[in-house]
Amino acid sequence: QVSVINTVDTSHEDMIHDAQMDYYGTRLATCSSDRSVKIFDVRNGGQILIADLRGHEGPVWQVAWAHPMYGNILASCSYDRKVIIWKEENGTWEKTYEYTGHDSSVNSVCWAPHDYGLILACGSSDGAISLLSYTGDGQWEVKKISNAHTIGCNAVSWAPAVVPGSLIEQPSGQKPNYIKRFASGGCDNLVKIWKEEDGQWKEEQKLEAHSDWVRDVAWAPSIGLPTSTIASCSQDGRVFIWTYDDASGNSWSPKLLHKFNDVVWHVSWSITANILAVSGGDNKVTLWKESVDGLWACISDVNKGQGGVSAVTEGQQNEQ
Amino acid sequence: PSQVVPGADPSARQLCFAWGPAEVLVCETLFGHRGGSPSRGEGGPGRALLPGTLTACVAGTGEGGPSSSRLFVVRKDQDIYIQTLRKLFNESHGIFIGLQRSEEELAGKSRKAQLVQVSKNYRSVIRACMEDMHQAAILTRDPALHSQYSTQVSILSAMELIWNLCEILFVEAAAAGPLLLRLLDWVRLHVCDVDNMVHEVLSSENPSKHELFWNVVDVFVLQGRMDEARHLLSKEASANPTSVNMYKILDDLMKKMPVPSLGNTQTLTEMELKWQHWHEECQRYLQDGTFASNSHMESICKILLGDEDAILEKKDLMTTWYHFLVTRLLYSHPTVKPMELRFYAQACMDLFLGGESSPEPLDTILMAAFEFEMHQVIKECSIALSNWWFVAHLTDLLDHCKLLQSHNLYFGSNMREFLLLEYASGLFSHHSLWQLGVDYFDHCPEYGRVYLELHIERIPLNTEQKALKVLRICEQRQMHEQVRSICKIMAMKALRNNRLGSALSWSIRAKDAAFATLISDRFLKDYCESGCFSDLDLIDNLGPSMLLSDRLTFLGKYREFHRLYGEKRFSEAAKLLLMLMTAHIAPCSFWMTLLTDALPLLEQKEVIFSAEQTYELMRCLEDLTAGKSDKQKFQDDDVETMKVEMLRLALARNLARVIVKEGTLEGS
Repeated sequence: QVSVINTVDTSHEDMIHDAQMDYYGTRLATCSSDRSVKIFDVRNGGQILIADLRGHEGPVWQVAWAHPMYGNILASCSYDRKVIIWKEENGTWEKTYEYTGHDSSVNSVCWAPHDYGLILACGSSDGAISLLSYTGDGQWEVKKISNAHTIGCNAVSWAPAVVPGSLIEQPSGQKPNYIKRFASGGCDNLVKIWKEEDGQWKEEQKLEAHSDWVRDVAWAPSIGLPTSTIASCSQDGRVFIWTYDDASGNSWSPKLLHKFNDVVWHVSWSITANILAVSGGDNKVTLWKESVDGLWACISDVNKGQGGVSAVTEGQQNEQ
Repeated sequence: PSQVVPGADPSARQLCFAWGPAEVLVCETLFGHRGGSPSRGEGGPGRALLPGTLTACVAGTGEGGPSSSRLFVVRKDQDIYIQTLRKLFNESHGIFIGLQRSEEELAGKSRKAQLVQVSKNYRSVIRACMEDMHQAAILTRDPALHSQYSTQVSILSAMELIWNLCEILFVEAAAAGPLLLRLLDWVRLHVCDVDNMVHEVLSSENPSKHELFWNVVDVFVLQGRMDEARHLLSKEASANPTSVNMYKILDDLMKKMPVPSLGNTQTLTEMELKWQHWHEECQRYLQDGTFASNSHMESICKILLGDEDAILEKKDLMTTWYHFLVTRLLYSHPTVKPMELRFYAQACMDLFLGGESSPEPLDTILMAAFEFEMHQVIKECSIALSNWWFVAHLTDLLDHCKLLQSHNLYFGSNMREFLLLEYASGLFSHHSLWQLGVDYFDHCPEYGRVYLELHIERIPLNTEQKALKVLRICEQRQMHEQVRSICKIMAMKALRNNRLGSALSWSIRAKDAAFATLISDRFLKDYCESGCFSDLDLIDNLGPSMLLSDRLTFLGKYREFHRLYGEKRFSEAAKLLLMLMTAHIAPCSFWMTLLTDALPLLEQKEVIFSAEQTYELMRCLEDLTAGKSDKQKFQDDDVETMKVEMLRLALARNLARVIVKEGTLEGS
C-alpha cells in the first residue's frame, strides 16, 4: 500500500518534464515547458517554494542535483540548446554557469560520481555529448564528443565510481586512478559506452538491440559485485537489461525485461539497485525486481487514478 | 498488483517517476513533447516541435493549468511511521543483536532451550505492543485513530499467533506427546472470543442456573481444561440430585483421561495403551445409554470419544478451524506426530469451513506451518503483512535453528539476508530508527556493508550532532570514503553559512587539502579586511594537521607570529616572520602585509632584527617591488608607494642602528 504523503502544487504554467529529489529527500527540483526551474523545500510534508529560476528560453527537459559536498548545485537542460548550472550562494539561487555549445535541444544531463570531481555530461539533439568539468574559481572546462549518436542523443548516465585494483586508502591529496565511464542512448537506436583514456573520451562499446530510438539509459548503482548493469528503454517499446560480467569476457549481454505496447520513456534504478522503475506510454509506472532464477518480474504498477488508494498486497516477492 | 495514486488526473497523461532516498516522485507529464520523435514524416528531433505547437497542444485538450502542475510524493505505507510500534522495533532490535552474539558452541538441548527463549522474548515484545496499542485504542476519542489502532491490534495478534505456532513446530520442534500439549496451550492462549462468556457465567451468583452454563462447560472440554470443567459440573450436580450418578461417572471419566506427559514418566506406547482402554470405557458408557437422559452430558461424552459431528456441532464455541483441529487431535489422536499434522489440518479446515467460506491469508499461513513448509510460511507472510519486520526476524531465528536451506537469490545471498536487507533498508527512511538499521546491516555478511554505504550517505545531516553520529558509525567500520564525503559536505555547509572555523575543522577531518587552502585564504582575506582573526582557538591548536596544506601551514604560523608579538617575544616573532618569506611558506600576495607587519618591530627602541636579517628583509622588499611591472607600479596608488617608502626608510634606519650595535664591543 502506498500513501501520497505530499501533493506539491508546483504552479508551473505548463507541462512538467522532470522532477528530482535531492540527495536527502529534503528538496525537490522541477522543470517545465513554462521555461522555469523551481526548487521546493519538502521536509515534513511541506512545500515551500525556495526558488523560481528563469534563464531558459524554451521548455526545460531535465534537472539534476550535484552531490552535496559541492554545495547546493543544480543543472538544467532545455530545448533552447542551453545547459545552465545553478548554485545556492548566501541563501539565494543564482545562475553560476551557462553552456551554449550545442546546436540544438539538450535532452539530458547527468552528474558524474562525486569521486571524479564536479563533472556534468550533456546529451543533445545535435548528436553531440559535452562534458563540463569544474576546474575551480568559477571556471568550467568543456570536452565535446561530436557525432556521438547520429540524429541525436537522448540520454546520458554515468557508471558508478569503482577504483580498479587495490582499494587501500590513498594518501590525502592524491586522486586514485578512476576509470571514468558513462552510457548514452540515441536516435541511432544504439546504447554506447564511453570511456576516458588519456584525457580523451572514446567510444568503448556499441550495444545493439533496439529497433528504434533509445529514449533513456540508466546505469545501476554498484553493490560491490564484479558485474555492471545498464537498463535501456526505447521507442520500440522494449526495455533491455544489459549485464557485463568481468569474469566471463569482455562483452555486454542483453536480457529483454519486457516488451510494452507503447513507447517506454524513462527507466531509473532505486538506490540499492534492486528495483527498476519503468515509465511507459501506457500511463503506468511499473516496478521490476530480479528473481531467483534471473528472470525479471513486475512487482507492482503505479497508476494514476481517481479517488482513494486501493488496498494492495505486496507484490510477488521472489523468495522460495 | 496495482497501486493507485489518489487524485491524479485520469486524463490521457503519462506518469513521470523519480526515486527519492525514501519516497518516490510521481508527476503527470506527456513524454511525447520532448526530444522530438522518430521521423514519421516530421522533421528532425525538436525541430518540428516549435514552442507554438507545444502550447497549442496543451490548450487544445482543455487541460493545462493547475491540474497539470501537481506532483505527488508517494511513500509506501510503512509501519515504521507508526509511533506506537516504536517499542516493537527498538526492543526486537535488542533481541536480534543478542541472538547474533549468542553462544553458538552450546549444542543440543541447551542451544534449543536458548533459541526457544529468544522466540518467547520476541513474542512477549509483540504482546507488549499489542497491549499498548489496545490501551491507545481505548483512550482515543478519534474514531479514525481508534479504527487504526484496532486494526493494528488484530495484525499484531495474528503475528503472535503465527509466531507461536512456528515456535512450537519449528524452534522447539515438539515431538509427539508434548506436541499436543503445546498446541492446546496455543489454542487456549489465542482463542479468546469466548473469554467474556466464561467470565460472565463464572462470576454469576448461580452459575449452574445461567443459560450459558453448558456452553462454558463445553468450552472447557473442547480446550481440554478438564479440572475446570469438572469443577463447574460439580455445581450442577449439587443443584440436581437426580443426575448425581450420571455426573459421577462423567466426572470419573474426565478425571481418568490419559494425557501425554511432559516428563519421562511414560512412553508413548504406554500412553497409547492407557488411552485405548479409557476410550473403550467411554464407549461402553455411551452405548449403555448412561447419559441418555441428559443431552448435554451425552454430547460431552461424545466429544470425549472424538466424535467429529459432536465436536463440529460446537463450531461457534471454537470459532476457528485450528481450534477444531486441536480438539479433534486431543480426543482422537493425542499422540499425533508432527509430520502427521498436515493431513489432519487440511481435513479439519475443509470440514470447518464447509465450503461456505474460503481460507483467508491467515489460514493459508497456518496451514503452511502445519505442513512444515517453512518457505511457504515466509512467502505468504511477506505478501500478507505490510512490512518486513515479522518475516525478517522470524527467518533469522529459523536460520539460527539451522532449518533453512540456503536459496541463492540473484545476488547470491540467502533468504535470511535478503529479508534483513529489505527490513533494514526500510528503517533508513526514518529519522531516528535508521540507527537500528546499521546493526542489521552489520549482520548481513554479503551485502550488508555495501547497502550500509549506499544508505548512510543519504541521511540528512541536519545538525552537527547527527553528522558526528553518522561519522562515528562510518569510522568504526572503516568506511573511509563515506567519512571523507560527510566531512566535505559539512565543510561546504559551514562555509556557506560563513562559519569558517567549523569549515576548517571539517576539511581537516576530511583531509581535504584543496578545501583547507580555500578556507585558509578566506581567513587571511578576512584578516586583511578586519585586522583580526576569527576562531583563534582553532588556529592556535592546529598542531600537525597544519601540514595538510601549505596555505594552512602559513595561516597557523602567521597566527603564531601574532601571538609571539602579543607576548612581546619580539626576536622570536621577527625570526618567524622572516622565515615565512624566505622559506616561501607565505604566498607572494601576502608579502606586503608581512613586511608591513615588520614595521612595528623595526620601530622598536630596541634593535630586533640583526644585520643579516635586515638585509634579508630588504631583499624581500626589492624582490617584491622588482617583480611588479612598470605598468603595475604606475597603477599603485599613493598609499602603496608610501608604504614602500616607509619600509625602505625603516629598514635603512634599522640597518644603521644594528651595524652600530653589532660593531660596538661589549662593555666599551
